[in-house]
Amino acid sequence: MLNLINTSFDNCLKCTVCTTRCPVAEANPDYPGPKQAGPDGERLRIKNPQLYDEALKHCTNCKRCEVACPSGVHVGTVIQLAKARHGGFKKGPREFMLSHTDLMGSLSSPAAPIVNAMTKLKPVKKLLDKTLGIDQRRTFPKYTGETFRSWFNKQSGTQASFQRQISFFHGCFTNFNDPTVGKDLVAVLNAMNIGVSLLKKEKCCGVPLIANGFFNKARKNAELNMSQFAHSLTKTECVIATEPSCAMTLRDEYPEVLEVDNSAVKDRIFFAAAFIAREFARGNLPDMKPVPLRVAYHSPCHLIKAGGVIYTMELLNSIPGLEVIMLDQKCCGLSGTYGFKKENYRTSQSIGQGIFDQIEALDVDYVVTDCQSCKMQVEMNTDRTVLHPLTLLAQSLT
Amino acid sequence: MKYNSIIIGGGLAGLTSAIRCAEAGLKTALISAGDSALTFASGSIDVLGFRQNNALVDYPFEAISQLPDGHPYRKLGADQVRQSLNFFTGQMAQAGIEMSCHGQQNHSRLTALGAMRPAWLSQPGAKPLSLAEPAAGLRRVAIINIAGCRDFQPALLAAGLKKHTDFAGVELTIGDIRADTISLTARNVYELRSLEIARLLKRDLFSRPEGLTTLASAINKAAGNADLVVLPSVLAVENGNQLIHQLEAHTGLRLCELATLPPSLPGMRMASALRQRYRQLGGLLLEGDEVVSGNFDNDRLLSITTRLNPSMPLTADHFVLATGSFFSRGLDSNPSSLTDKTFNLDVVTAGQRQHWSNQHFLNGSQHPFCYFGIETNDHFNPYQEGQVIGNLYCAGAVLGGFNPVAEASAGGVAISTGWLAAKQITAQYSDVRGNHVESH
Ligand SMILES: Cc1cc2nc3c(=O)[nH]c(=O)nc-3n(C[C@H](O)[C@H](O)[C@H](O)COP(=O)(O)OP(=O)(O)OC[C@H]3O[C@@H](n4cnc5c(N)ncnc54)[C@H](O)[C@@H]3O)c2cc1C
Ligand code: SF4
Ligand code: SF4
Repeated sequence: MLNLINTSFDNCLKCTVCTTRCPVAEANPDYPGPKQAGPDGERLRIKNPQLYDEALKHCTNCKRCEVACPSGVHVGTVIQLAKARHGGFKKGPREFMLSHTDLMGSLSSPAAPIVNAMTKLKPVKKLLDKTLGIDQRRTFPKYTGETFRSWFNKQSGTQASFQRQISFFHGCFTNFNDPTVGKDLVAVLNAMNIGVSLLKKEKCCGVPLIANGFFNKARKNAELNMSQFAHSLTKTECVIATEPSCAMTLRDEYPEVLEVDNSAVKDRIFFAAAFIAREFARGNLPDMKPVPLRVAYHSPCHLIKAGGVIYTMELLNSIPGLEVIMLDQKCCGLSGTYGFKKENYRTSQSIGQGIFDQIEALDVDYVVTDCQSCKMQVEMNTDRTVLHPLTLLAQSLT
Repeated sequence: MKYNSIIIGGGLAGLTSAIRCAEAGLKTALISAGDSALTFASGSIDVLGFRQNNALVDYPFEAISQLPDGHPYRKLGADQVRQSLNFFTGQMAQAGIEMSCHGQQNHSRLTALGAMRPAWLSQPGAKPLSLAEPAAGLRRVAIINIAGCRDFQPALLAAGLKKHTDFAGVELTIGDIRADTISLTARNVYELRSLEIARLLKRDLFSRPEGLTTLASAINKAAGNADLVVLPSVLAVENGNQLIHQLEAHTGLRLCELATLPPSLPGMRMASALRQRYRQLGGLLLEGDEVVSGNFDNDRLLSITTRLNPSMPLTADHFVLATGSFFSRGLDSNPSSLTDKTFNLDVVTAGQRQHWSNQHFLNGSQHPFCYFGIETNDHFNPYQEGQVIGNLYCAGAVLGGFNPVAEASAGGVAISTGWLAAKQITAQYSDVRGNHVESH
């Protein structure tokens, strides 16, 4: 078979716009930035693989460069694929642990109280820092004793009684760490006369796997998820996800990064807020009571990239009495597993500083964001609690 | 989902329009496929710098009446152009940048190649010179580079300046500030772009209490007692104008900051100030998504579809198309025709492809293609197959009928047409609601 090299990076005009928006290049002078790491470097690497640059490991795949590029170059993807092709990923036990979120979840969740107590202990943190290189200054996500799926199973009967049905891709975090958002989604959709069903099986969408170079595993997950989607879409209207990175990956990254064809179902995969906003626009609006709070909204990188901020803002603005202040669209710096790695701690914190400062300077009751990774980072670095937009929406239900 | 107004394109034209709509309290969304031409722009605003015969324009607003029919400024009239620029200056001031001008008169701004360009508004750091006598009061000009900065060539600037007869009697000196004297610890300074220098200075120098005085004394040492010190714009992204001001106080010198090769820090500063202003007014900014089609019903645009959310059209009462020119991909061309990429609106073109441009790229004569762009009526409503679209307005570089480069009018046309689009939109709300909506 003819192996054609993807040369779409050649749409790059060398205008440098992407470099002006890269949070890593701003925080870490060792990173040459998206233009050089992406399209410039790709030309060289095609000529000679020896010209692969180690510094590419600094890229967090936040995709801010892609959002900024006037020529539509997929800079972040070019960088991820180059790392994969040239052995640019370190795949040690730490990377395995951080990226196999569903495996870690199913191991940890049954022993949640013990695991949670352990990961809070200083000596344990020190040990993880020394042996694995997971920075001890990080707060670890807690595990839940009752997974979202087991909670959900108790009410699958209620859900089945609704005439309209959607499938919910809950993702690892909602299932194993904090089911709140999943429960809130069920409450909101039920109030709109829509029932929720789960996929018979689901695997991690693949974001942390891609970020750590486990492309084969990610591809396997993608194939399983797609066959599950195809199956469940015969009975439900669409598949929705509450986590922006999951939604972006299922819809956009499967074909672009993993080369898994999702064209048959792609247009029926939705970011939760997009689905709900469309229902609102069609008049399917639940009764809402005022939620008299002042909140600051932080837009996650992957939600910006997927074009979803407009829907979250629509939902927040529909809640009576809620005052929403939009924070500067800057990256929080954690980028999932990136900020947990010892060598990235400083960069990660320095990227997020702008957001932390802005939040501290504002007099708000809560910070709101759609992404659980952003939530972790903001809660660790400010004294505010971070809520998911759906939690506020659920609170406003009468 | 429904908005009062949706603005397509986040450049100077789109941002001006969006700010004005948001300020009037309209539910506004701004969608922009990528960053705009402001990332390359000088950070000064041209209104009208040259006449059709290439002569310099002293008073841009007065010269508007002599422009050819069909020019965007002729549709606006001088008064509205002036009002729009006042609105713009006000918004920039609210976002922390006090633009300066010489009354109603143009000034000269220096370019990194030593050319003199007429402009009407400049950021304070640009140190506007007089149009008629740019060298007035200058005996010695020092051109200082951060050693190795590859975006700025002092010798080229000096050679350019020497070509002006005004500068014949001015002594030009060239100096360097070595990276290590100002605590820059980069891998290799010779690899650095202006933006990277600014970031390093912020981290390594200005984070220290004595940072400013260190830089000030390095400038003093390199510049001596020149009447004007020219520096590449590499010092700061956000608060560059304030920093120049502080350095002037410390050095006792007059410092001029020149935009370098792209990325241009003064242009980025302007873009981020405008975005910040729009956000403060409660506007919704969507970057990285692209409008791919419109749903038209006779003379109205009902909704638009974007690349990332094809199954959910966005509805609005009014739309502004400010998608820029060829570089921003607002306009597209193929061997036989020119099109508006977004909605396929009618465009102004002329003849066969071989007549679109002159043989020589930079020979001073004008290229016909510079005038190409969307054709509109006097209200800046475009046509689709001859039919006026009444609730859609076009603004900025996507418009036909003017030559941004040869006239030096890009910024002014973007601002004034963006402003007018918003003015017409907000006026309709005062009609509908029966109460008066802001009109500057
Ligand atoms: C090198 C350079 C130097 C300049 N120097 C000066 C100067 O010194 N003084 C001056 O006054 N002016 C200058 N200008 C011009 C100035 O920057 C103006 O901004 C420019 O004329 C036009 O602004 P605009 O808003 O019309 O378009 P642009 O700035 O081109 O913005 C258009 C925007 O629309 C977006 N877009 C395109 N298609 C779509 C779509 N389908 N959906 C959504 N978004 C879309 C693009 O991504 C882009 O962000 C300069 C320009 C350049 C390139
Ligand atoms: S913004 Fe896009 S076109 Fe410009 S240098 Fe970066 S990748 Fe190339
Ligand atoms: S994906 Fe993010 S970190 Fe990577 S190059 Fe692009 S902007 Fe920089």
